Amino acid sequence: MKWIGALLLILATTWMGFEWSNRLMKRPKHIRQLKNALQILEAEMIYSQLPLQDAFMNIANQLPNPTSSFFKTLGKNMQEKNVDLYDVWKINVEKFMQLSSLGPNEKEILNQFGRTLGQHDFYQQQKHIQLTLTHLDRELEDARDNQFKYSKLAKSLGVLAGLFIVLLLI
Amino acid sequence: MFTDASILFQIAGIGIIVALIHTILKQMGKEEIAQFATLIGFIIVLVLVINGLSDLFNQIKSVFLF
Repeated sequence: MKWIGALLLILATTWMGFEWSNRLMKRPKHIRQLKNALQILEAEMIYSQLPLQDAFMNIANQLPNPTSSFFKTLGKNMQEKNVDLYDVWKINVEKFMQLSSLGPNEKEILNQFGRTLGQHDFYQQQKHIQLTLTHLDRELEDARDNQFKYSKLAKSLGVLAGLFIVLLLI
Repeated sequence: MFTDASILFQIAGIGIIVALIHTILKQMGKEEIAQFATLIGFIIVLVLVINGLSDLFNQIKSVFLF
């Protein structure tokens, strides 16, 4: 009985470590998806001159899942009458943060971007998209650094912490 | 006399694990956290040893002071 408990404890902490490292690995990937989405949005706005709703739907069709569902629900929510884009954007960003591995910095960047969306002419809007892309680039660098540094550490630290607690309790 | 050696193995195990954690954290450039982990391990072992020592002193007291 004692050994089963010890095994379960080690398994749990190991799993926690792997989950942590998984989050670290996924963050650069999700930031890259977000950058792709913004680039597509820029193209759709400047060259195809689609309304935002259709542009969001197009983005949702072209990208893989956490980002895709974000833009899809955003497009769907915009179809309701009398909604403010920034409110919808904020709610969806909140949901998106729970689904993806992005941190509070990315949330702030996205919220800043949402505030400018649909307020300016093409030229200003393009500038805002470029600004957001630069911010995301910086975050991407940061996330990649963290991934290299901590993803291995997280895994081994999980196992070792489990062993440590088991030794303490035995 | 001395029947239960499990506490020795426990302390040895804690020592090994703490040393491993220290090495890994140091490799990843988190020196101050590594020091902190070692300190925590040391304190835990100290508590274990002090428990054993207090047992010993109680034994001695009961032998000499009736």
